[in-house]
Amino acid sequence: MDNQTAFLTTIRTALDEVPNAERSKKMFPQLFSSPDTTGILKKIRGRTVEEQTELVKILRKNGNSLNICTHIVESFKEAAAVVIELIRTKEPEFNYTKHVIMHDHPDIAALQLWNRFNREAVTLHTTFSRDPHIRDKTIASFIGITAPAIIVADSATLIQITEPGRPRSTSLLPSIHIAIIRRENLVADLAEAYALLREKSRLDSFVFISGPSKTADIEAHMVHGAHGPREVHLVVLSEPLSAQGFEKAPEEMGKHNDSNLMTTSS
Amino acid sequence: MSGKTVSLFIQCLVDTMFPETGEAMITVFDRLGIPYDYPMGQTCCGQPAFNSGYRRDAAAAAKHFIELFEEAEVIVCPSGSCVYMVRHHYPELFADDPSMHSRALAIGAKTFEFTQYLVDELGIIDVGAEFPGSVTYHDSCHLSRGLGIADQPRTLLKNVRGLELIEMKDSDTCCGFGGTFSVNYPEISIAMADEKIDNILDTKADAVTGCDISCLMNILGRISRRGEDVRVLHIAQILAGGIGNKGE
Amino acid sequence: MTSQYRVDAQKGIGSPRLQASLHSLQDRFGKGAMALWAGMEDKDMRKRVKKSRMKNFEHLDILLAELAQNVRARGGNVYFAKTAQDAIGYTLEVARKNGVKRVVKGKSMLSMEIAIDPALEDAGIEVVETDLGEYIIQLAGDKPSHIIAPCIHMNRRQIGELFAEKLGVDYTDDPPALTLAARKALREKLLSADMGLTGCNLACAETGHISLVSNEGNIRMATTMPQVHVALMGMERIVATLEEHRETVQLLTRAAALQKLSTYVSFLGGPSSANDPDGPKEFHLVIIDNGRSKILADPEFREVLACIRCGACLNICPVYGRIGGHAYNSPYCGPIGAVITPLLDGINKHADLCKGETLCGACKDICPVQIDLPRMLAALRHKLAYGSDRWNTRQHNPAEAYAFTLWRLLVTRSFLYRTFLKIGRFFQRPFVHKNKMIRKMAGIGSGWTDGRDLPPIAKRTFTELWSQKYNKDLAAQPAVTEEEI
Repeated sequence: MDNQTAFLTTIRTALDEVPNAERSKKMFPQLFSSPDTTGILKKIRGRTVEEQTELVKILRKNGNSLNICTHIVESFKEAAAVVIELIRTKEPEFNYTKHVIMHDHPDIAALQLWNRFNREAVTLHTTFSRDPHIRDKTIASFIGITAPAIIVADSATLIQITEPGRPRSTSLLPSIHIAIIRRENLVADLAEAYALLREKSRLDSFVFISGPSKTADIEAHMVHGAHGPREVHLVVLSEPLSAQGFEKAPEEMGKHNDSNLMTTSS
Repeated sequence: MSGKTVSLFIQCLVDTMFPETGEAMITVFDRLGIPYDYPMGQTCCGQPAFNSGYRRDAAAAAKHFIELFEEAEVIVCPSGSCVYMVRHHYPELFADDPSMHSRALAIGAKTFEFTQYLVDELGIIDVGAEFPGSVTYHDSCHLSRGLGIADQPRTLLKNVRGLELIEMKDSDTCCGFGGTFSVNYPEISIAMADEKIDNILDTKADAVTGCDISCLMNILGRISRRGEDVRVLHIAQILAGGIGNKGE
Repeated sequence: MTSQYRVDAQKGIGSPRLQASLHSLQDRFGKGAMALWAGMEDKDMRKRVKKSRMKNFEHLDILLAELAQNVRARGGNVYFAKTAQDAIGYTLEVARKNGVKRVVKGKSMLSMEIAIDPALEDAGIEVVETDLGEYIIQLAGDKPSHIIAPCIHMNRRQIGELFAEKLGVDYTDDPPALTLAARKALREKLLSADMGLTGCNLACAETGHISLVSNEGNIRMATTMPQVHVALMGMERIVATLEEHRETVQLLTRAAALQKLSTYVSFLGGPSSANDPDGPKEFHLVIIDNGRSKILADPEFREVLACIRCGACLNICPVYGRIGGHAYNSPYCGPIGAVITPLLDGINKHADLCKGETLCGACKDICPVQIDLPRMLAALRHKLAYGSDRWNTRQHNPAEAYAFTLWRLLVTRSFLYRTFLKIGRFFQRPFVHKNKMIRKMAGIGSGWTDGRDLPPIAKRTFTELWSQKYNKDLAAQPAVTEEEI
């Protein structure tokens, strides 16, 4: 702590404050005050289906200019078809075998990919927290599938929050990133996204993703595909989970409750 | 017409090297029936010293200026950078001297750049001038960014009979003068002047004009050395009907 | 004797390749940012963010304490480094404790400012830059020339040759192919490194996060795959709340590259948990002073700490646009570099940076947080003019100071001034060419006449014309001859 005390003392001296008197944030309540977000949250949660559909259109348009491929589907069946088509047609970049890694998330489990590749050499992995080989499996995978918690239409941004069973590297190491998105999880802009983030009691690491990786370092010539994924696909579900008739154990729904920011309870 | 007598603040460079610009200003005022006088003791606003960091010396020049011009009804200058010096830097120079500070503020409030005075203060947009030919306009840094004056000169030029105004690329990019910068860092200064001149030549205009003789001196000096065929005129000269410039 | 600044400036001016790159960069990004600000709906945003930055500096001790507390609550380490040496020492100790052999770096100007790379290399640690531009610079043994686009001064052919030589790939000058080659080469490094070393774009005190802005994904990888992450943070790169973060980061990405948001914004605040298969097991935030507290203490210069390192001022500066980044001889180039380098590293030492621009004001117009850089350049010149105890600066040019003392004498005594002009007019005669201009002068004047003509002092100054021709009230004055004296 010594280095901290000396450092902050120097700062207080520079500010013409009493050097050795630690200042507490309680003395300055305005310092950490933030505008009230009740209105914004109400707006987000009160959105109609039409309004959300409008946001999907905006997301697609903004995503296009960022080289994001948006697939709008009506059902989990259709979503699965899109994902399977991508797995079948895309080629791995760094090796010859097709490995796919997926987050431990009900929306991804609902795709039921596990029984769709019986005749092809495709290996599927899920990032269960107890698996000690996730790192190697991720490195071997050419496609990573996640289900981001918040999606921002204005900037075509996915917000991935790190949680047990949902590590960071899934949306980073594989050459292709597929994000399964619910229409209800779309927000209009960053102000709404930040309001939702603020609601969370504890945020560890999270990342905003707005498209495939890119660089313009060589002669300011834009190249897509630097170190992160070089393709990003959004699969936007327009029907809510319950309408699909997929069997879901009640506790599985409740298990991920705190990551599903769209609950209307509390 | 406000009827105020204009005290001419002519600028040291105009006084010393470009008196025809001052004469042009007088021609315009005569044509418009604006009364003027000329405090003979004027020398320099102090800008060269200030921009080089010599604030004590600049303050001495400022004090001289303030004492000389304080009684004027209104002060008009054919240079944006000098007006900027008076308005923005004089109060700064006397920040620790309350009485000089308020005198500086007072004098700044009645000091105007030439085109600004005509258009904004007197409401004149047509000075009855004639100039056959095409002209491109250079936005000086202190005039455009410092004082926000960019429309006024253009308005006046557009109302000159026979004049075709052609905008150049990057008209408000610095010409590279910068006071002592021009002699301390000549290669950079000339590189910037060359870019400005290339943009001027690209317009194929007969002449380039502006509201600040320091910029025009820099542009003229380089044009002359390069042997380019384009006239350099202060806007006062055009508004007076084009009296002629050096180096022709 | 021509200074190194002028020599390097001339090199930049004389390179057609650099000129073409800079022109294109400035045309697109400089003008682009200005258009963005002009079209912005929220006209007060920049002013608001500036105000909040300055307010935060007044409470910087509280914000930093809050940040540290929140990071530590997650199991992260926070070290407050007063000097560059302290920061290096701490980082080396972390590396030593963890048996680090290879470090992957995200682009960080601060890491260059404190010169940590040589120290790591001296300790036998391999250091790999992973930002493509910085990686190219590292391979070439060169220095970056722009804050955001470090190798803008190199063309694709040079890079192609460099990669063929250093990476053993077939020669190509196709940017996508070159990028792919770098992607492959760096992926291996990123996956096998023991430590990630990054800077910090903006820290958020209330949540205890640092945030990092990038497009390539290298920073995400460098902070996700190695076991240890050390983040270097300038003490001024902090906002208080998430709300401030939202506004500030949006200004940063717009000003830097005209983006609503960069491709990635990573928020990191501590080590990953035991169950996470990736993420660092150790997170170290090194908060660095290295001269910033001195800037904070001076009301004349405190404003420069508001800089969010977007590089927009470079994209509009006509001086930078001609001379390029190398002439600044500093990790920080362009207008911001011209102010911060002397303040951090010595005003006399970097006198050319203080004086080598025209104060045109374009940088102030484009700055997302409205920093008045010209004002501070003028203030730095003031220090050089007379010296400054506070900034340990001696009078830089006594001859020039003397010249201005003489000048002052003349401008405050108009009779002396007029006489001086008459004398000058007499002695200039041999120098006036037949084109009526002066073409050659000695001494300081040669700075003008080496490349430009100079109009001579007029046969009659305006003052003389006034008293002889225009001032009818001076009838009592004796007639003055119209001949040359």
